[in-house]
Amino acid sequence: MNRAAILWRVASVLVAAGFIAAWQLVTNLKLVSPVFLPGPDRAWAALVRGFSSGDLAGKLIGTLEHMTYGWFAASIAGIALGALIGSSKMMRAYVAPSLEFLRPLPVSAIIPVAIAMLGLTQGMALFVIAFGAIWPIMLATIHGFAAVEPRLYEVARSLQMSRTAIIGKIALPSALPDILAGMRLSLTVALILSVVCEILAGLDGLGHWVLLSARAFRSADLFAGVILLGATGYLTSIAMSLVEQRLLAWQTAAR
Amino acid sequence: MSVVARLIEARAARRQKPLIAFNAATLRLGGKTIIENLDLQVRPGEFLCIVGASGCGKTTALRLAAGLYRPTSGAVTFEGEEITEPRREVAIVFQDYGKALLPWRTAAGNISLALEASRVPARERGARIEALLRKVGLPGHADKYPTEMSGGMQQRLQIARCLAQEPTTLLMDEPFGALDAMTRQGLQDEVLSLTQASETTVIFVTHDLDEAIYLGDRVIGLLPHPGRIGIELDVDLPRPRDQLATREHPEFLRLRRQLFDFIKATEH
Ligand SMILES: Nc1ncnc2c1ncn2[C@@H]1O[C@H](COP(=O)(O)OP(=O)(O)OP(=O)(O)O)[C@@H](O)[C@H]1O
Ligand SMILES: [Mg+2]
Repeated sequence: MNRAAILWRVASVLVAAGFIAAWQLVTNLKLVSPVFLPGPDRAWAALVRGFSSGDLAGKLIGTLEHMTYGWFAASIAGIALGALIGSSKMMRAYVAPSLEFLRPLPVSAIIPVAIAMLGLTQGMALFVIAFGAIWPIMLATIHGFAAVEPRLYEVARSLQMSRTAIIGKIALPSALPDILAGMRLSLTVALILSVVCEILAGLDGLGHWVLLSARAFRSADLFAGVILLGATGYLTSIAMSLVEQRLLAWQTAAR
Repeated sequence: MSVVARLIEARAARRQKPLIAFNAATLRLGGKTIIENLDLQVRPGEFLCIVGASGCGKTTALRLAAGLYRPTSGAVTFEGEEITEPRREVAIVFQDYGKALLPWRTAAGNISLALEASRVPARERGARIEALLRKVGLPGHADKYPTEMSGGMQQRLQIARCLAQEPTTLLMDEPFGALDAMTRQGLQDEVLSLTQASETTVIFVTHDLDEAIYLGDRVIGLLPHPGRIGIELDVDLPRPRDQLATREHPEFLRLRRQLFDFIKATEH
């Protein structure tokens, strides 16, 4: 790490610390009623209590499960469909307009449809999360496959590579930076939709925990849940960029 | 007749038969005739150079020989058989090496691509890759990514990948067009020594008339709109060629003059 990077790191830690200090100050001065806004001290205590009593860990696992299942399903389907559409000019011409119609639809609009069809079930949650998370992945994959250097396909032809070898050795690796970027965006979408589905369907998870805490005016527990959600989003995103760095090491090799 | 004599005769007969032949090949693309009635025979082991003004159809002719295009009428044949698809014994060296190499694979990985396609078992690949890298003057660069290599090194790498196909024929489209003069001359000599020893047939497209004469057994000049043969010169210069002696040879200068006049006339 060079000096500038270290300075940035220090600055961001200072900003976070300042934010927490300000939060503590606001609650100490009782600028907002403690019924609605607990201080960081109380939120932290609630977090520790939640874990030691065992409730919160279970909720966290529930949310992580919803998120990862939905995200995995979206990734597999999104990459497969994106590859199919992106690798053929004709498919792109035929399918692109319908995609443009479906894509801007807010996922919240299909939640009632999903509930009507699947009920308030895990299956509904999986469907909604996957449906919402598939878009960034699929669109990125389409773009990645469409942007493969045509010269590489000619190299593949002159080597008489099989269709599967062309996809696995040329198209997929070439589209990988786009695909990973799409998967990273989808991670956040999957987390948000997990919480929404847990709230709507009463599924075991942090969304449900937050909802119950709010109803019972346990603001410290509520904040503990929210902090945990933030941490989940942050850590999964960091994990994702570590994976990206590893898989795309060749991109930074030149520098 | 002894067996040996018969073998020699058979070989001579084979040498007479063209390896690649354009028979009245015509190619139209987007309503435009790009190549018209091209008749051209390439003998086995021959080093044929194609020159011509920009846009006259050199790349297109090469792509016909590669099987990347099919003629609209007429035929292009390899060993008497119509070319319908690229074949492994014909390797193509593209001018834009930066686009033809896989940026996510190292030098070794790029060569491996050709070995994998030829189903060379994994445990044999390492040694083959090392030998090929040495052959093209890139020993010790196995773990470099293409983006970490200079233009000349990248083109060497592409040539190594083509050699990994074990081709009988090399099709080269302005392979050294983007390289500086010194690198260029070095690579010219390397290509000559790589192909002459193995009697590889080469079709070599270039803008550089000196390069064409220096390398070739024969030089073809194309006329534009539509592309057809305008001049054909046999190059009777002794081999092995030498960057200084060959280029000062009176025959070299005579051919050079003839080609320059031809190109000048096509550009009017
Ligand atoms: N796919 C295509 N569709 C329509 N016209 C084409 C196509 N490819 C090439 N042409 C045209 O055919 C002609 C010959 O092109 P080609 O690339 O073979 O020329 P070239 O001799 O290789 O030129 P250069 O020396 O600039 O590489 C050009 O006029 C070009 O515009
Ligand atoms: Mg060209």
